[in-house]
This record gives sequence, structure tokens and C-alpha cells, in this order.
Amino acid sequence: MKVRPGLLLPAFAWILVSGCFSSAVGAPAPQSGAATARTFLDQYCTGCHNDKAKVGGLSLQSLDVSLVSHNAQSWEKVVKKLRAGLMPPSGAHRPELSSINAFSGWLEGELDRGSAKLVAAAPTMHRLNRAEYANAVRDLLGLEVDTTTLLPADDSSYGFDNMAGTLGVSAALMERYLAAGAKLSRLAIGNANAVPSQKTYSAPADMTQNYHVEGLPFGTRGGLLIRHQFPADGEYAIRVDFLRDYNGSMFGANAKGERLEVSVNGERIRLFDIDTEVIKAGFVETKPLEVRVPLKAGLQSIGVTFPARNYGPVEDSFQPFERSVITLTLGKDWTVLPHVGSVTVTGPFQASGIADTPSRQRIFSCRPASAQQEPACARTIVSTLARRAFRRPVTDEDLESVMSFYEFGRAGKSFESGIELALRRILASPDFVFRLQSEPSSIKAGATYRISDIQLASRLSFFLWSSIPDDELLRVAERGRLRQPTVLEQQVRRMLADPRAEALVSNFGGQWLYLRNLPSIVPALNEFPDFDDNLRQSFRRETEMFLGSIIREDRSIHELLNGNYTFVNERLARHYGIPNVYGSQFRRVTLTDESRRGLLGQGSVLLATSYATRTSPVLRGKWILENILGTPPPEPPPNVPALKESTAAGSAAADSPSVRQRLEEHRANPSCSSCHRMMDPIGFALENFDAVGKWRSKDGRTAVDASGVLVDGTKVTGPASLRQGLMRYSEQFSRTVAEKLLTYGLGRGVEYYDMPVVRSIVRDAARNDYRFSSFILGIVQSQPFQMAVKQQQ
Amino acid sequence: MFLTKRHIPRRTFLRGAGAAVALPFLESMLPAQTPLASSAANPVSRASFIYIPHGAIMSQWTPAQQGTRFDLPPILQSLEPFRDQLTVVSGLEAAMAGPATGESGGDHSRSAAVFLSGARPKHTAGSDVYLGTTVDQLVARKIGQDTPLPSLELGIEDVGYTGICGYGYSCSYLNTISWETPTKPLPMEINPQVVFERLFGDGATAEERIERKKQDRSILDSITHDVARLKKQIGPSDRNRLTDYLDDIREIERRLKLAETAGADSTQAETPIGIPQSFDEHVKLMYDLQVLAFKAEITRVSTFMYSRDNSNRTFPASGVTAPFHGASHHSNRPEAIATYARINAYHISLLGHFLERLRSTPDGDGTLLDHSLVVLGSTMSNGNEHDHAPLPMLIAGGVSGQLRGGRHLQFPARTPLSNLMLACLHKLGIEKESIGDSTGALDI
Repeated sequence: MKVRPGLLLPAFAWILVSGCFSSAVGAPAPQSGAATARTFLDQYCTGCHNDKAKVGGLSLQSLDVSLVSHNAQSWEKVVKKLRAGLMPPSGAHRPELSSINAFSGWLEGELDRGSAKLVAAAPTMHRLNRAEYANAVRDLLGLEVDTTTLLPADDSSYGFDNMAGTLGVSAALMERYLAAGAKLSRLAIGNANAVPSQKTYSAPADMTQNYHVEGLPFGTRGGLLIRHQFPADGEYAIRVDFLRDYNGSMFGANAKGERLEVSVNGERIRLFDIDTEVIKAGFVETKPLEVRVPLKAGLQSIGVTFPARNYGPVEDSFQPFERSVITLTLGKDWTVLPHVGSVTVTGPFQASGIADTPSRQRIFSCRPASAQQEPACARTIVSTLARRAFRRPVTDEDLESVMSFYEFGRAGKSFESGIELALRRILASPDFVFRLQSEPSSIKAGATYRISDIQLASRLSFFLWSSIPDDELLRVAERGRLRQPTVLEQQVRRMLADPRAEALVSNFGGQWLYLRNLPSIVPALNEFPDFDDNLRQSFRRETEMFLGSIIREDRSIHELLNGNYTFVNERLARHYGIPNVYGSQFRRVTLTDESRRGLLGQGSVLLATSYATRTSPVLRGKWILENILGTPPPEPPPNVPALKESTAAGSAAADSPSVRQRLEEHRANPSCSSCHRMMDPIGFALENFDAVGKWRSKDGRTAVDASGVLVDGTKVTGPASLRQGLMRYSEQFSRTVAEKLLTYGLGRGVEYYDMPVVRSIVRDAARNDYRFSSFILGIVQSQPFQMAVKQQQ
Repeated sequence: MFLTKRHIPRRTFLRGAGAAVALPFLESMLPAQTPLASSAANPVSRASFIYIPHGAIMSQWTPAQQGTRFDLPPILQSLEPFRDQLTVVSGLEAAMAGPATGESGGDHSRSAAVFLSGARPKHTAGSDVYLGTTVDQLVARKIGQDTPLPSLELGIEDVGYTGICGYGYSCSYLNTISWETPTKPLPMEINPQVVFERLFGDGATAEERIERKKQDRSILDSITHDVARLKKQIGPSDRNRLTDYLDDIREIERRLKLAETAGADSTQAETPIGIPQSFDEHVKLMYDLQVLAFKAEITRVSTFMYSRDNSNRTFPASGVTAPFHGASHHSNRPEAIATYARINAYHISLLGHFLERLRSTPDGDGTLLDHSLVVLGSTMSNGNEHDHAPLPMLIAGGVSGQLRGGRHLQFPARTPLSNLMLACLHKLGIEKESIGDSTGALDI
């Protein structure tokens, strides 16, 4: 709907009354909008949604249509269901889409008019979550660290883990933040007295290592590429162990002539001859390979790989599957090639100093030449760090507090110890760990006010970068210019073009599209022996690059549904049946296969919505309702029997009923059917994609039946026609994207009272061809993002 | 603002006051006010569950006599010094570790999972694993909630195996014996350094660790001033949340104080560097860490796996070079049986190290061993046959006056192991009607 709601009213009234659906807009309204709406409701809705039956817990019988805004919560539900084409249900008498749209448009106009006042703004107290903490540390200290070992995962709600209300605080958690801050301060400054420590990087057990790994030298096969933060200059031991079966035996133990290369920053430091340097026999413990090497402090990359002797898979004489390492029972494995299992870094032994790492260059903005210069230099360093970390100008009180820790750390020790302790103090500060909204004293409780430019800068940077503002953003905010619409837009565009905006892909996209769930999904090996970690990683990468291209190239978000391109490497292209793609690097390809277009053709989504042994039309249907149409179905009622599982052999057994048959049985239960008749046809249309997203025409021995009828009567026969069917509701998809982005951007759930804002964002985006940036700008300029409500006593 | 001058003298004092630090731990830490807090008058028990795969030579494990007058057989011989606090429990079965109807094989794939759950693992190699909440976690929910770590899960062997681990079972079932919920296996940590830092914080020496804890406390102290300032700027409901935060800060301060004392005690154990190559050293270190954690009440519950099922690790210190799993398949040849029994006896001798450390550590009005429950065993009996009864099982410790040692209890053949686990729960004050395949708590 690109028409402004106000214009719809007369047209809508006229259409219903005259009963003529083909006439043009413009005739005067003989009946009020409310009366027409009531007629519409009584004709199509109150048969079920009446006071008696109250189907779905909703009655529209006695709701006053002349006071729509008084029952906004109910009407917003109505609007959503209508806009997503999910009501009236299949089988019921159904008006033309144009009159459904006219009625929805009228309702929306009423709702939008009644919602001038801001009900809820962005939350006012917000803990940095793990991802934000990691990015903040990266931007503050130039330190790239894996925070997953330092901090626990955050709980999520509304589909995201940056929801202020869910980001709780507990003593155990704050202890972890305190410890993380201490560890990172030390790592950033470097520790010339570091004692050895050890970290192991393991390869996923289902990683195929028969081919080149992106990032490792050409002409190599398999292996691991790791990035490790070294705490000091000194000698380090790099130990490599091979991938083993669960019995402890090394894969590829019988290979001849294999060698293993260890490199640091791309430079070979050791080449092991596996034939002579590895004991591979039977039950004897094999000795891991170890090389000791002097290394500098800071981030270095270590590559461990096998020089390719020949085309790897050829060596595997018995290699029926894509996945090279398969253990079915004791001692049986497919591959004859050794695989890297883990790389362990231990050290430093005899730390000899600290190289000038990027972190140190960033922190030590001055270096005192004498003891007299130290306090002034410390003050400079500390205030620079505190301003960035606290995301605001530093006060004397801040400085005094942090400087006392500098002095404490300096006493009897070095200048650097002083800075390290001051940094620890900064990272532990609530001003760093929390985003807090300070309230103006001059206004009354319940009154709305505009947040300061400084606070706007943080909202912006945590939204687009999942991190702290950079210098420029902070500077603009400190000058009070950020609130100017042109300046704000300019900053938003600058930030979207910045590499840090990748956070939108990994955090927003990763959660919206379930990409974060992929690592924990393990398809059953017996059913999907080709599936390996390489494919799992490729799925994630494809969707990330796809979403990234929409953001970077500022494309219409509708392309997420129907884009005619994607990104593949050789492994993925083979999986999809795309010819002529060779090598491990990803590249953009134009899709000729209609079924693969858009997100619904991507392996990531298809895998994330399947079970270990089979597809789930229900999960897929639910995913689309939730994430594409923005109408999540309610949880199943209690005491509903689960779908009867087929025999252990799965749906492959000829005599076991198909998933479709079992679901149809399930749907015979009326308490199930109301939702399943919405979900299931959508999911069935994707049945040509198996549980790992591969095209199939048969499920076991039965031919795949991907046909079905959507709620609005559209007949679908597979992924392509489903996509076309969904594109009729692209407007609702736009609202879903806006709603998800607003949820993520504000850090709170989006409720019915926010829907006028959502619609206004989408209306503005429509004028900009639904480009991604127009959604972001709409959110950033919206009231909830820029305003706050003063809290009640 | 914290006072610099106040800190340095105190540190100096502590350094010189080794005697004060060596005082029984609990006397120096009074602030804990939680109802479960341990005190000399009301000690809180600790619990450790230890799993060894592949079964044992039962003829050399089971005492010939029942009751209190019995001779320790060869495998258990090394535990003679602890006889008073030791109970051998015979006649048990882990039926759930055996094949289900229509299934054959897979015993090693199920055994570890069954140990503390008594439940049959769902037959899947996918991510839809399902078992049951294990006993240690039920204990942790009760007595682990007011310690910094609710429980500690330790292992010896790398468990970086995912996917399928034989006979269509997920590796999750073999990688751990601890399940927080029926669908959430807890990883076993094998790196003593990681465990150590989790318990005591990082730092090269005990002195440095203590210093860093003091610094942390200064930082926390200083943060309370930040909170006071921020409270003036923010709205009332946020103010309430910050008040909660302040309570958390105080709680961390309390724990830090506690941990400082523990850190002083940890001087005996140098920060380990990574994973020792020797099995002997690795196991002893893991036992030491459990003692330290129990002593400082950083945690009260631990699980420990000597090995994964099917492991072919060798144990040079046992004087035998045969690989573990291979040796368990002794084919009833006398010399192979003797070899395997030596491995069993070696594993049990390492338990002696643990019991000795527990017994020599004062705790309240007794020793840690007096207040602990140690459960050790296997869910396999004769590894050669993969059978699951009668199991090698023993329990040790006084469980704060709840358990008497010096006994060999013989129960009717094929009594569920879960009945023993249920009895252990009851000893630890956890009311539970049943777990896994239990039919009623054993009278122990």
C-alpha cells in the first residue's frame, strides 16, 4: 500500500456499499468509515470472532469501530492478520484483496491518528551485552579478542540478545565483567612478566580437510587458520594434534608422503614429515607435533596445513561422501588423509619484552620521557580512554577517580602498571558497562523529552555498530549538532558505510535469520552423510554476504525475498547445483534457478528450520510467519500430542506415513488446525529442499509433493510460486523488517502502540524504493529513538 | 574514594602473617548470611562424583566378607588408610546402559551418560539429545547456589568430539557425566590452568593473585561512589535497578574477601601451565583443585571423569603398557586379567591421593573428608563382556555425620545404581522420590 491512509476512507466506504469492486477512487462517501467497517466486520469476521465463540481469544462483535484508538491493541492484531493475508481463514468467505486492503487502510488511518503521544521510548538502562563489550574493547583498545571465553552468553527475548529488560545483572555476572576487564587491560598493555598459559583451538570434528581452506596458502589442503593474541614477546610452543576418531586413532594414519606446514603470518616456520616424525601405529599414543618459535606480542595468525601433493579426494579411493571424516562404528573411517584436529599455543617461555602492538600505540598517546612528565601524560591517556569508554566528555570527578588508580598502580611499580590499573578501573565502571539515561530535572514525571546529542550518539553507535561511538560521532554530538536532521543523516550514512556496520549483519541478521543457531545444528549423519562443517560455514557465509550486500549497496529490502543473486564458493555451488564455480573463495553469482532466489532458497534458513533427521514444514511455516510476515503463531496449546514419529529409519521407510500424512492427521484436531492450516501449506511448498537445503524430487521413495493452497487461496507448487505468493505481501514484509530493526535498535519489544511508528517508517521507505538506509533513517529519526519519558516516582 | 595508604600496609601485614592465613578457613570469613552458609556448628557437605569407564575385575574388587569385618581386595588395597570412611557398595546394576529391546551394542556409547542420570540416553546422533538431569546437578541446585561456582566439571581427556560416537549415539553422551537439564550436557574442563583461574583468578603467583583481588576490591569500592553519583542523574525505576547492582557489588566484595583467603591457601599449588603430559600428574592436579575449591567453598559439587569410554590411553605409572580399552577386553585370559586389574588398582590408588588431601584439610569442627561425599565407580562391570552388573562402586566421606564408613554393603543382585544415587541425594538433604530407573533409596 503506497496510498496515504487518509485517501482510502472514501474509496473504501464506496466500494463496500456499492458492491462494485472495479470502480475508481473518488466518489463521495454515503456512509461513515465506521459504519462501513462494521458492515465489513459483520460480513467477514464476527462469524467466528464474536462474544460467544471468541475464536483466537478475540471478539470483534462489540468493539466500537468509531473509537478505534480505544482498542488499539485488538485492532493492531486485526490489521496484521489482514495485511499478512492470513484472515479470513482458508475455506471461509473471503472478500477481494482490494477491499481487505481498503478496510485495513482505514483501520490504520484511525490507529495512526489516535497515537500522537509517545507511549514508550527506548529503555533507559542498558547493559552492554557480550558482543557489544567485545566490539567496544576492540574500538577502544585495538584489541581483537574472543569474549566467549570471558563472558557468558546473554539471554535473549523478542528474538534478540540486546534487549535492555532481559540483560540482567547479578553478582556472578558482574564478577565476570570485572575479571574480563582485568584480563583485557593486561592484554592490551602487554605483560613483560607474563607466565606461560595455554589455549587450544580445535577443528570441528565434521570439518572436511580435502580441499584448500580460504586464507591459507594456495597449494595447501585442509588445516586451520587461527588468530591468537600473544601477551608478550617471547618463545611460544605451537603444538599440533591430528583429528582422531572417538577411539583415539588418527585419521589417515596410513597415508604416505604427507607433510604438515606450520606458518606464522603466512611465513613457513616448520615443515613436518608425517611419515618419519609421527608415530601412528595402533593403540600407542601418538605424539603431537610441536615447534617452538620466538614471537612478538600482539595479534598474529598461525596457519597449520598440509601441502597438497595431489588432488586430495583422488587419494581417497573409497570416498562416497562430501564429508571426509565419518565414523560409523569402531575403527572405520573413510578418509585416508590426515586432518588437523587441534592447535595448542603455549607461552611465553622467557618473556623478553613487549612489542609496540596496535593496542599500545592506541593507548599510549604520549610517552613520558622523565618521571616529572608522567602525571601529565597519564592524565592525557586516562582522559582520552575514559571519554571514549564513557562515551561522553570526562568530568573532573571521573578523572580524579581514575587517576587515583593510576597512582595506586604506579606506586612502587612502573608507569605502565599505573595505566593498566586505571584502565581496569575504567572497564569496570558502570559508565562503561551500562548505558544510562540521565533525566532532566526541570520537567514533570510522565513528560517526554528529547535525549541529549551525547546520548543519541550512543544509541546510534550501539544500533549500527554494536559498539561505542567513534571520535567523529562523539565530536559532532559534543558540539550539539547531531540532532540536526541533515547532520544525523550524514552520520548514519557514514556509519553504514563503515566496516563496523558489519555488526548489523552478525548481530541483527545473525539473530533475525537464525544464523547464530547454525553451529549447534547437527544433521543426523546416517541421513545426511554429505553434510560437513564446511557446508555449515558456507551457509552462514552466504546469507551474511547476501544481507551485507543489501546493506552496503543500499538495495531494496524486498530483494531479501526475491533477489536474483547470491554468493557461493565451490562447495556451496555444488550443493546447489550451480555449475562452473571453483575454489574456496566466495563470489557473487546471478541465479538462473527460480527456486533458489531470496532467503527462502538459502541453505542457512532451510537448515535452521529442520530437524536432525528430516524437514519440518511446521518449523519452516512458522519461521516465515514469524520472520517474513511478522505474525508469529501462538505456542501450541498444552496437552497436544506431538507428531507421531516415524520408525527409526525415518521417512525413508516405504510403509511409514509421510510427514504430510502425519501432519494432516494432526490437523484433524481442531485446536491444532487453526494455526497449522496457516503454517503447513507454506512449509510444504519448501519440501523440495531437504533438511540440509539440497534440492530433491523424492523424499525417500515417495515423490515430493510441494503443492498447497495458501490462506488467501493462492495455489503454490514449490519454492518459486511460494515466493511469488509471499511477494504479494511485500508491504507486510517491509513492516516486519521495520519492526525487527526497531526492536533491535531500541533494545525493547515493539508493541501495538509502536505500530503507527512502524507504518510511518515503511511509508517513508516506500518513497525511497524500500532501500535499507531508509529503514535505518526512519528508525533513527523516530520518536522512540530520539525521545524519552520521564519516569514516575 | 579508596585510600591507597590503607592498602599497602595491609598487604604487607598479610604477607608476614602466614599463621593468620593458615587458621581454619571458616573462622576468617563470617559475613556469609545465607541460610546454607557453612559454619563449624552446621557444616555444609561437599559432593564429588567420579567416573571410570570400562568396568573392573570384580573378583579383585569385591570384598569376600560383608559388614564391617572385611578384607580389602587387591584393587582396593591402597585405600586401607581410609577404611574408616569408606563403604564398598556391591550388587548394583546400570540397566539403562545396556541395549534396549531390539538394539545391540552401543554399551560404551551409553555408559557415561547413565552413571549419574540412571536414564536411558535417547538414541540419536543429532543435536536432539535427551537424557535426564544428573545427580550432581540436583545437588548443585541445592547446595551450590550460594557459592561462586554452583558446580565444577572436570575431565582428563580431550573431548573435542562432536557428531556421532558409535552405534548412532551422539558424542555428547560420552563427553560428559554431568547434565544440567535433560537436554543440556555440561562440558568437562580438562585444562587445570583454566580451572585454577576460574577458581582463584589469574596472576603468576599467589601474592600477585592476592594483590589483584585487593585491587578488585578497591575498584569495587570506588564504583560504589560512581553508583551514588549516577543515582542522582537517573529516573526512579533505574535507581532501583542500580540499588540492586550495588548489592551485587557488595556480594562480589564479600566473595573477593573470601577468595583472598583461598588464594593465600593456593600457594601450595603453583598455577599450572596447561595440561600435564603425565596422566598421574594430571589426575592428582585435578584432585588438588577440587580440594582447594571445596576448602574455599568456591564450589561444593564436582564431577570428574578419569577417561572417556573407548579410550586407549596408556598408564605408564601403573607399570602396564596395555591401552585402557584394549586391556578391558581381557578375553578371560589370566595374564590379561592380571594386567587389567593392575590398571584398576592404579586408578584407585589415585583416589587415595584425593581422600588424603580431603582428610588433611581442616573444615569447621572436622576435616573436609568428614563433610564430603565421594562417589566413585563405573557403569560397566566386566569390560570384556560389556555387562552392567554387578558394578564396582564405592562411597567415601562422612557427609557431615550422615554416613558411616568401614563397611561392605551387599545388596541383592541387580539393584539399580539409581537407588544408591537417590540415597546419596537424601544424605545431602535433597528430597526426591526417584531418579532415572530407581525403585527406592538404598539404606546406606
